[in-house]
Amino acid sequence: MLVSYNWLQDFLKLDEDPTVLSEKITRTGVEVAEVRHPQAGLKKIVIGHIIDCEPIEGTHLNLTKVDVGEDEPHQIVCGAPNVAAGEDVIVALPGARIADNVKIKKGKLRGYESNGMICGLQEIGFADSVVPEKYANGIYVFPQDADVKPGEDAFEALGMDDYIFDFDITPNRADTLSMEGSAYEVGAIVDEPVKIEDVTLKADGPNWTDNFTAEVDPKLAPKFFLRKITGVKVADSPLWMQRRLWNAGIRPINNVVDVTNYVMLLTGQPLHTYDARSFATEKLVVRKAQKGESLTLLNDKAVDLDPNDIVITNGQEVVMMAGVMGGLNSEIKADTTEVILEAAIFDPTLIRKSALRHANRTEASSRYEKGVNWDATKRALNMAALLLRNDAAGSINEGIVTATDTERKQDIVHTTISYLNKTLGTQISAAEVQHIFERLNFPVEIAGDDLTVAVPARRWDVAIPADLVEEVGRIYGYDRIESTQPVLPETHGGYSPEEEKIRRVKKVVQGQGLVEAISYSLTSPEKAVSFVKQPKELVKVQMPLNSSRSTLRQNLMTGLVDAAIYNMARKQNQLQMFEQGRVYDFENSTYNEHEHLATLYTGNVYFENWQHDNDPIDFYYVKGQLTNLFLAIGINPTKVTYQAETIAQMHPTRTAGIYYEGQYLGMIGMIGHETTRSNKVLKGKEIYGYELDLDVLLPLANNSKLVAKTAPKFPPVERDLSVLVEQDVTSEQIEEVIKKNGGQYLINLPVVDVYQGSQIDKKKKSLTYRLIFLNENDTLTDDIVNEAMTEIKEDLQTSLQAEIR
Amino acid sequence: MDLFERLKDLREKGLSEIDKAQTEEKLNDVRVKLIGRKSELTEILHSMKDVEPEQRREIGQSVNKVRDLFNQKLDDAKNELVEKLIAEQMAKEKIDVTLPGRSNHLGSKHPIYIILDDLEEFFIGMGYKVVQGPEIETDHYCFEMMNLPKDHPARDMQETFYIDPEDLLRTQTSGDQARVLEKHDFSKGPLKMVGPGKVYRRDDDDATHSHQFMQMEGLVADKNITMGDLKGTLELMAKHVFGQNRQTRLRPSYFPFTEPSVEMDVSCFNCDGKGCAICKYTGWIEVLGAGMIHPNVLENAGVDSSVYSGFAFGVGLDRFAILKYGIDDIRDFYTNDVRFLEQFSREEK
Repeated sequence: MLVSYNWLQDFLKLDEDPTVLSEKITRTGVEVAEVRHPQAGLKKIVIGHIIDCEPIEGTHLNLTKVDVGEDEPHQIVCGAPNVAAGEDVIVALPGARIADNVKIKKGKLRGYESNGMICGLQEIGFADSVVPEKYANGIYVFPQDADVKPGEDAFEALGMDDYIFDFDITPNRADTLSMEGSAYEVGAIVDEPVKIEDVTLKADGPNWTDNFTAEVDPKLAPKFFLRKITGVKVADSPLWMQRRLWNAGIRPINNVVDVTNYVMLLTGQPLHTYDARSFATEKLVVRKAQKGESLTLLNDKAVDLDPNDIVITNGQEVVMMAGVMGGLNSEIKADTTEVILEAAIFDPTLIRKSALRHANRTEASSRYEKGVNWDATKRALNMAALLLRNDAAGSINEGIVTATDTERKQDIVHTTISYLNKTLGTQISAAEVQHIFERLNFPVEIAGDDLTVAVPARRWDVAIPADLVEEVGRIYGYDRIESTQPVLPETHGGYSPEEEKIRRVKKVVQGQGLVEAISYSLTSPEKAVSFVKQPKELVKVQMPLNSSRSTLRQNLMTGLVDAAIYNMARKQNQLQMFEQGRVYDFENSTYNEHEHLATLYTGNVYFENWQHDNDPIDFYYVKGQLTNLFLAIGINPTKVTYQAETIAQMHPTRTAGIYYEGQYLGMIGMIGHETTRSNKVLKGKEIYGYELDLDVLLPLANNSKLVAKTAPKFPPVERDLSVLVEQDVTSEQIEEVIKKNGGQYLINLPVVDVYQGSQIDKKKKSLTYRLIFLNENDTLTDDIVNEAMTEIKEDLQTSLQAEIR
Repeated sequence: MDLFERLKDLREKGLSEIDKAQTEEKLNDVRVKLIGRKSELTEILHSMKDVEPEQRREIGQSVNKVRDLFNQKLDDAKNELVEKLIAEQMAKEKIDVTLPGRSNHLGSKHPIYIILDDLEEFFIGMGYKVVQGPEIETDHYCFEMMNLPKDHPARDMQETFYIDPEDLLRTQTSGDQARVLEKHDFSKGPLKMVGPGKVYRRDDDDATHSHQFMQMEGLVADKNITMGDLKGTLELMAKHVFGQNRQTRLRPSYFPFTEPSVEMDVSCFNCDGKGCAICKYTGWIEVLGAGMIHPNVLENAGVDSSVYSGFAFGVGLDRFAILKYGIDDIRDFYTNDVRFLEQFSREEK
């Protein structure tokens, strides 16, 4: 809502500087997004009267003589199509500054001297959307009866000396969508009484109500009033009204339509005028639209009506989409003389949905959907009728057609002053509370601690004691409330145990050098189940923004792969990233969310270096990092097993499922070639990573209290063991045999060499293990170690046909 | 030659031999020769039995003096030699210390999590617990319980991704409030919580909009919670995040789940309130929404609003990060360009 400072002065005394006032309004009532002073930056723009206007031959230009209040008229060359002698116009004098900081100088056009410029409204900073249509492509011409004199400052005549507050209103403060409502608000803020004029109206035409029927469903329109004005002469509105309209962001149209807009701005009550010829049936019906009905709106948009749109018909055809916009078929035309004027209240939800459905939000519909003042309907009707008589020479027919007039009970709110103070943390006196409600124009009664407030209908947002707390708090001033800390019994803050573990996981991988990423949870249906061992039922949103953001992810890897593509396309080929977040599915008839961790590695272990230490990241590097992660969160890595596994989009012979005592934790491996080959950037690159289901993993972590052990005092014994086995024997199988026979002192068996090649049988491979034995309590004898070694070797030979080298 | 003469002679010769020995081996040989079991010195000592008893004491002392001298000189010579050898070896081992080190990735926390972790720690320190709720939320918790019945105009402000008529991607973390209020046993003490997480809105992504972003909800409920407590808490937080010198102001606002509702602005950290492009020449930057919990929200969760009250606030973590780090495109958070992300490695606390 654009609120004019000058117009506000109609209602109350304002002597505050507009900028200071704006800050007060922002802190107390409604956020003022901007204060605009239309004449700011402009100068030497005056009223001119065109005395003479002759076309310059062979051009579209005219040579004019313009009285600008000086001794001699100015000669000005003007190219506007609508320039003519006798017009009062806007003149930028030599030395003037117009919109966009353009300076006007004396000049010569086609050999003719031109001392100034006759301006259109856009040229002095008006928005296209408020310029009257007939002046859209030319100069502005003042209405003939406008009280303007050549040489006078044009700013005042055009309302550009005003200050315009842009009220950024919240949905609860629809009362400020009117000048009267804004005046009440500003009056309360600056503590000035507000004068709102009542309307007294005497009809001067015949009674019309006997011959006209209106059938209105009170559920659709709880209030519905009509008046008839006859003998109307359609013309431009007077300048004062045009000024107020365009300063409020509304384009002046004609003296009939403008009146309805003006009264809406004044009272907040939307009004509509029909050409009475549309109601030759002498009947008006308000109902829901029927399937198949359509209407061409005033903005030329043809709409197919929905059964939930409220429409107004003449009993035969639809003439308006109620509360939103009139139909072209009932429009006020230049030859309109009889006007039906409507003031009504429509169901806010139906209006909101209609406006949304047809993408046709209007000043009227936005007021209806936010809630209008139930006390203003009839007053607005009468005010508009009066103005139509004044501005458009109409005569007001006797009587109002009242189709519905539902009463709404006034809200009486009871509370206590101590409740207000307790909630605000203040000690506001009863007298001050009383005064605050008087400032707000809320009738109030105080008896001891008890407080009773009768809420005016314009403030439908106030209904319960908490609403009164807000009114008192904001008018008293939030700045004046003392800042305190809650005085409460001590509480123990912190994370949940699950959250603590997740945070530990993130810390570890970050410490391992990984960059944290956040990807979108919504992805494409295909990507949602990439890199997933067993996809579950997809969760899709009903109205996605696009198909690549339609489905909730079941894995995090896809986001990291997208990130890798993005980075590699920018020559960032050394990547180590992770994401910790949720995946989503539908299973067992519920939506499920699981916390996951995914990592992605590509490039070399070290950045490019002069020592040529350029080991590429491979499966085993990533697996080693994962092993460290397990250690760091209390998962015994020796209980974790890896099984070669086929997972969609992963490399089928370089991927493993990760298990802990048979439970699937996730997967580790290389991104498959079908993903990397098809992408220009990824082609030929090896990308590794793992993804873990933290919901399964973290409960397995060792939670027991750590009891420290002394470091062993006896030295370990090391024995290397090389075994030659068939290619398809896995290291895990060999390790199992070694562990089974190694006895209680075997504490570790790192693999120190793997060999396949010309020195040995092609179908075989050789693995070397370093077996580390330790007795923490005594010196280990060779006998014990030798005995273990013998058993290990024998078992390897028998169960894996291994050859001990 | 009498023994004194021999000793004097031996002393001179010995010292000169020590001087000449230039390697550790030679020095060892000299040591054996001069003070070993078969050395001349030992011999002189043995031959003392032939000397007059009154002279023995004097000779003994002289022999010891020479031995001590030899020992001292031998040790000194050895130390000097070792020092020299080490120095020579190290001179040979010289490297160019200006060549670069071999480095790998440093690791970094995402800027939104830097903001979140900092806020969580701040509130945990004041006794708040951190609560997580579902992202696939029901209409019931996301809207109905939060005093946003169907057809509430405020639902227009939140374009929602519905999954089915009852389930949706949460548009706000406020649903966590309702869940926690329902479960909380006030007889065991006040409720102080923050609830962070991802939220979703049907907005097209551009520099200032993202269909996914992160929020943190905060709530304190008990008897006797005041708006002054809310104001004091928010001011502490704003100063913690944006600096102790920031001014703050509360403005009336509207949220269906709080009454009164306010928004908090902090004085622009770019221009210090004088007005600049960042604050759109207002001197203020909006940072969060808050208010006293609406009685309907309490009642919906089964909390007696005539006994209990509280305050709640909601923080846009993306917005905090944008403001704190001067980021001008919200998409930077979700593009995962490592050149953007890695700069935050030094922000880790």
